[in-house]
Amino acid sequence: MFFHYVLGFPLRSDVTAAGHVISRPVCACLRNTGAGEGECERRDGRRARQVHAHRTPSGMLSVLSYGRIVARAVLGGLSQTDGRDYSLITASCGFGKDFRKGILKKGMCYGDDACFIARHKSADVLGVADGVGGWRDYGVDPSQFSATLMRTCERLVKEGRFTPSSPVGILTSGYYELLQNKVPLLGSSTACIVVLDRRSHRLHTCNLGDSGFLVVRGGEVVHRSDEQQHYFNTPFQLSIAPPGAEGVVLSDSPEAADSSSFDVQLGDIILTATDGLFDNMPDYMILQELKKLKISSQRREEDCVNSPAWVVMQTGKESPQKVVTC
Amino acid sequence: MFIFRVSSEECASNDSRSERWIENTEHTQHNTPTHHCTVCHACSLAYRLYCVEPVALQRREEKRACFLTQTQSCCSMFPMLTLLSMFYYICLRRRSRSGTRSEALGSRRAVELGQRSALPVTVEVEQYGKEVLDFSSHYGSENSMSYTMWNLAGVPNVYPSSGDFTQTAVFRTYGHWWEKCISSAIPFRRTPPSFHSQDYLELAFEEPVYPTAVEVLETYHPGAIVKILACSLNPFSQNPPADVRWEVLWAGKPNKAVTPQARQFSPSIRQISFATNLLRLEVNSSLLEYYTELDAVILRGVRERPILALYKIPVIDINDLSDSEEEISDAGGLCCRSGGENRHNLGNGYFDRLPYELIQLIVSHLPVPDLCRLAQSCKLFHKHCCDPLQYIQLSLQPYWARLTDASLSHLQSRCTLLQRLNMSWTGNRGAVTAAGFCSFMKACGASLVCLELSCCHFLTEACLEVIAQTCPCLQELNLASCDRLQPQAFNHIAKLTNLRRLVLYRTKVEQSAILSILTFCPELRHLNLGSCVMIEDYDVVASMLSARCRSLRSLDLWRCRNLSERGLAELVSGCRLLEELDLGWCSTLQSSSGCFQHLARSLPRLRKLFLTANRTVCDSDLEELAANCSALEHLDILGTRMVSSASLRKLLQSCPRLKLLDVSFCSQIDSRFVQEISGLFPNVSIKKSFTQ
Repeated sequence: MFFHYVLGFPLRSDVTAAGHVISRPVCACLRNTGAGEGECERRDGRRARQVHAHRTPSGMLSVLSYGRIVARAVLGGLSQTDGRDYSLITASCGFGKDFRKGILKKGMCYGDDACFIARHKSADVLGVADGVGGWRDYGVDPSQFSATLMRTCERLVKEGRFTPSSPVGILTSGYYELLQNKVPLLGSSTACIVVLDRRSHRLHTCNLGDSGFLVVRGGEVVHRSDEQQHYFNTPFQLSIAPPGAEGVVLSDSPEAADSSSFDVQLGDIILTATDGLFDNMPDYMILQELKKLKISSQRREEDCVNSPAWVVMQTGKESPQKVVTC
Repeated sequence: MFIFRVSSEECASNDSRSERWIENTEHTQHNTPTHHCTVCHACSLAYRLYCVEPVALQRREEKRACFLTQTQSCCSMFPMLTLLSMFYYICLRRRSRSGTRSEALGSRRAVELGQRSALPVTVEVEQYGKEVLDFSSHYGSENSMSYTMWNLAGVPNVYPSSGDFTQTAVFRTYGHWWEKCISSAIPFRRTPPSFHSQDYLELAFEEPVYPTAVEVLETYHPGAIVKILACSLNPFSQNPPADVRWEVLWAGKPNKAVTPQARQFSPSIRQISFATNLLRLEVNSSLLEYYTELDAVILRGVRERPILALYKIPVIDINDLSDSEEEISDAGGLCCRSGGENRHNLGNGYFDRLPYELIQLIVSHLPVPDLCRLAQSCKLFHKHCCDPLQYIQLSLQPYWARLTDASLSHLQSRCTLLQRLNMSWTGNRGAVTAAGFCSFMKACGASLVCLELSCCHFLTEACLEVIAQTCPCLQELNLASCDRLQPQAFNHIAKLTNLRRLVLYRTKVEQSAILSILTFCPELRHLNLGSCVMIEDYDVVASMLSARCRSLRSLDLWRCRNLSERGLAELVSGCRLLEELDLGWCSTLQSSSGCFQHLARSLPRLRKLFLTANRTVCDSDLEELAANCSALEHLDILGTRMVSSASLRKLLQSCPRLKLLDVSFCSQIDSRFVQEISGLFPNVSIKKSFTQ
């Protein structure tokens, strides 16, 4: 029923949201619930095994398959007595503007957006990047830049080549590594990186462009990021331009990113998302949805996957539509 | 009972040592086979054949000054001793191993049992590399994780996919292209045919184990590994032992796999007598079509010493003996005890009839260890083998594992006429010290012309000072990958005013030092400043080159990040004789400034030009190259989007001597076009790399 409404209206921007909750140190294991998508990460002694079970649905149009396309939602938090180190329970989801066609990219890429979740023994790091769509007119796939940037930052974190107090450093190193690739990359993207320092219980963030993050505590937004724009629809962006076009193409340095750092508590919800979420959903709606998430210590994360938590609002409609995921 | 190859009377070591040797052999007859004894140098062959425990060799202090033997012993020729040893071990180990002999021999893995029962608890541990400690070169940038050697540690990122990925470990060179350049060193004579290694890397693991298998995951153009060695030293331990042993686990010839696809390379390795967590891989990519890329190394081993080594007695291979090194004895101690020479006129048989120079010629074909062994056989050969004329060229690189300060001091007396010395890779982990090297230099460096000191981590500023003082005629100096050398050490190089070839790849040389070198060494022909990250402004260096070093023939500025078109223009206008120019990954050069066209017009003799990953190379640059540089042989334009097939075709038509053309990741050049022009121009090796 709702499905048809959703189908009828095009989306203006991709929506990617990664929700993260401060929790006691526990390995986040999101199992397949039969919806067909899942991501499971197990650490086993020296070696970390990552199993990506990411099945691409065929282009069938049905409520079930629609539910499959839309990934899991934000999870709620746990309020446990603290271990010494904090960690995050995470989930990510999103969909691109062309999700109707059944186009799905590998890994955590949704349309032109990309995100990553990476863990290191000193910190948990989350990142979101929004590829600037204007490159499509010049024959460049905008998702390549954002996806490669996020993969590179993920690798940097996993190998420990970063300092937790400086997410701008991650961005700078990631951007530098993009230039070291033999493949000539082109494109640009915004970026938002959030680092939870386990020991000091501080969250260090940096944001370049119009993606951003929200920190929600007790149903209230306690921190949010600012948008950085040059002018309308032209956010600050990292870019690699074709030779000769450097003067024409907007290219901001990673140092232009906004940084901040603050303390966090157990049970905080951190939502990092691209502008597709923040432009289409006002704060109160986001908070409403997040309130619905209730995780107790007995419930496992996979049950939360099933809880109704995802809302898609159609631009142009006055009242929001709700779609329930399965 | 024991068969001796050479009787003690003929032995050159006529001093008390040989008597001790005879004593000890008798002693040994009654003792356990693990007893060691002194070696009679000439008879060391015989010695090795009956000693069961070669490990005991190291404990003799004489052996510290020697090349250590490497081969496992063999008792198979001596049945009684074999029985003795088996009885000994059976008695000792019957308690724990009685029922499991077949198990131990049959399988390598065993399930770990909860309790310490009679069954052996051999758990096979599998580890990925923890840290790359040392390497001779790599493709990537010094503070990057793309194509750098540090990617070899940890779990594989790419395997089993194949392709040219950033997450792998890549060496700097491949194939035979760099050997063909005029900037390469002339190969040293007397290199043993078993030494093929061109590059190496050292990888440390977490836990020392007795290795049972080593697997290398190669993800692109496999086939480069030629040697795997294991070290007895634990690099993470706080108290390193005094003597460090390197054992060869596997050695092979360089080869090339049929396809460039990924593979898991798992040669059968030798068993060694110590636990190791430090492996060294040596590679030779000369047969490969493109860069080889390694993803990870897996070390499988057991924590406890396997008993397999005791039951399975390896047969000695005579060819092995030529690899093993004997001690280089003190020249002074080897005086033959023969009396007046007149009485022994025909004592050397036909050798007495041959002219001295002819014997010198014969002996000049021997590799260095054989030369040392031959010196111990009789006085005539001692005279020949210690003749300084045999040591005009000396390459100690194949023997890096065993060279020590003592060996150097023993060689000193013979090397007074030394002109070319290769000590690359030596001094690994303290075997050679700066002091030992300095004294060797002071004794032998007076006529030195070529000095190869690549990856010599024992070098200090004092060493370079000594080199500068004692080698005034030095023309070639190679300090590649001496990355622990302090920046101020390079100032001394400026005193070598006859320098023609200088390699400072991956060193910490600073701007002031290189400028002073260029000021005082106007004869420079070949200069390698690849990956010299401490030089702040390459434009100044380029303008100094054009002012002072006008006879420059080859220049390697790989990854110099701030050379601009101004510097390049000055360089090519000053150094007109340039034949080889490597500007790979110099991202600050923009073709739109016309610098490459100016380059092509200024350097008609250009034979090698690398513009790797300069994304601005365009058609007009190629057209200028085609028009002006007809001698071009090697060209690399990887990663540019602006070059079309038409201009490439024009270039190929205009440069008949072109042999290497790398158009990987050039988006306008597709594989069909590459195939087509490969057919039209069969002499050109066209490289088109791929990522999946």
